[in-house]
Amino acid sequence: MNPTNGGWLILLTLALAMVLCVVHLPETWPQWLGWLRPAWVPLVVFYWVMELPHRMGLIAAWCVGAFLDVLQADPLGTNGLLLAGITYVAWRFYERLRMYSLLQQAGVLFLLVLASETLRMVVQHVSADRGLGWGPLGPALISMLVWPLVALVLGRLRDRIYVG
Amino acid sequence: MRESGAGFLLAGLVLVSLICIVLETTTRLLEPVRSALGSLVTPIVMVAETPYLLGGALGELLSSRSDLLEENAELRERLLELSQISQQYLALRTENAQLRELLGSRAQLPAQVLIAELIGVVPTPVTHQVIIDKGRNAGVSNGQAVIDAEGLFGQVVEVDEFSSRVLLITDADHAVPVQINRNGVRSIAGGTGQLDRLELENVPVTADIREGDLVETSGLGGRFPRGYPVGVVDSVRIEPTAPFAAVSVRPSARLDRSRHVLLVFSNTTQAQAAAADAAAAQEPASDASQSQGPTSDAAAAEAPAGSGDGEPTP
Repeated sequence: MNPTNGGWLILLTLALAMVLCVVHLPETWPQWLGWLRPAWVPLVVFYWVMELPHRMGLIAAWCVGAFLDVLQADPLGTNGLLLAGITYVAWRFYERLRMYSLLQQAGVLFLLVLASETLRMVVQHVSADRGLGWGPLGPALISMLVWPLVALVLGRLRDRIYVG
Repeated sequence: MRESGAGFLLAGLVLVSLICIVLETTTRLLEPVRSALGSLVTPIVMVAETPYLLGGALGELLSSRSDLLEENAELRERLLELSQISQQYLALRTENAQLRELLGSRAQLPAQVLIAELIGVVPTPVTHQVIIDKGRNAGVSNGQAVIDAEGLFGQVVEVDEFSSRVLLITDADHAVPVQINRNGVRSIAGGTGQLDRLELENVPVTADIREGDLVETSGLGGRFPRGYPVGVVDSVRIEPTAPFAAVSVRPSARLDRSRHVLLVFSNTTQAQAAAADAAAAQEPASDASQSQGPTSDAAAAEAPAGSGDGEPTP
């Protein structure tokens, strides 16, 4: 991922997704809203891998995951594992995924985010003795709902700025 | 990327991830890596926090004169109240030192504090962590206790160059040795994962704990200094079949509201070493124990140090 040839846009959108990951709501808002945070970084990574599979690969995704680990206070490697899995699926099937409609892509993302959040829950269960529950459903549903928005915004950006 | 190559790469990365996770949860080997990455992502946290910082600044800018006057009057009143308490405190402290000397027990060490400001919150609902704006540059160290104006807040779990992360006492992974202020019954207050509730662990059904009791740190275990309020007993539920009483505690610290916290430099281990040195050199150790505090440029308020502080008992 070199910053020339529009690569800076990829980096910028990833940084923005990370900011959205750590933005927190005002303290007076109900706490359960915290369960409904879209998986911004996986969505953005998925988009770039699907559209530009030669620019964004497994190792880059894993490195993004390491940053995410620190931001979200997960054990190092957790998010790298999840993002590498999502990247592999997106990279393996990118030709097919591009042909899908936004709604079908949203369905695929629902399954991917659900799988990765479940895996994260299992990792936390094993490493930090946290309980298992229905938590992964929230991010998966919300990610599915915001995917069309993410795809449209990133598509518009690519219309303006060439990323090769 | 060829197909089989990508498969191998994925397998390799999965393996590396799993090794990292195991290393992270069982050892402290990866702490430097984490700390370096933490310094790199601090800007991202700062950007995410700007709405609140800007909001605070704007609120200060736009606050009206009458509001300010009102606040001023309130603070004046509070200052008066506190200075009255601190007058008594001086007398009580000397008396306490004398009594301790009579009992032949070691004098309590003075604690130094450093004010830090919140610059971020880890937003996952299961982890209760916050990020503060003092790091290695201000002498923060791992395991340090953090308090706010009302009570115990948490402890430092990760130190980066200019920021550090604080694990709140309500995190499900956290536990703090406590005692009941009224009668000294000891217990351990474990976090529950809910911001407004702690639980006392393994309390026998016969223990003398009532609703409304103040729970404070006991200082056992050496991580938290003694005598900081942790919370107030909310409810005591005794079920005839259960081996232990279920005691829930409401934290005193305003865990979800406080923007300013205090880092406590209790220096117990360092001060003990200094005291041992002093015993060998027959010199008061107060100088040694004070030189290891935070840098003085920040608001490092120092508790008044008596002459007997830090001296080993004969």
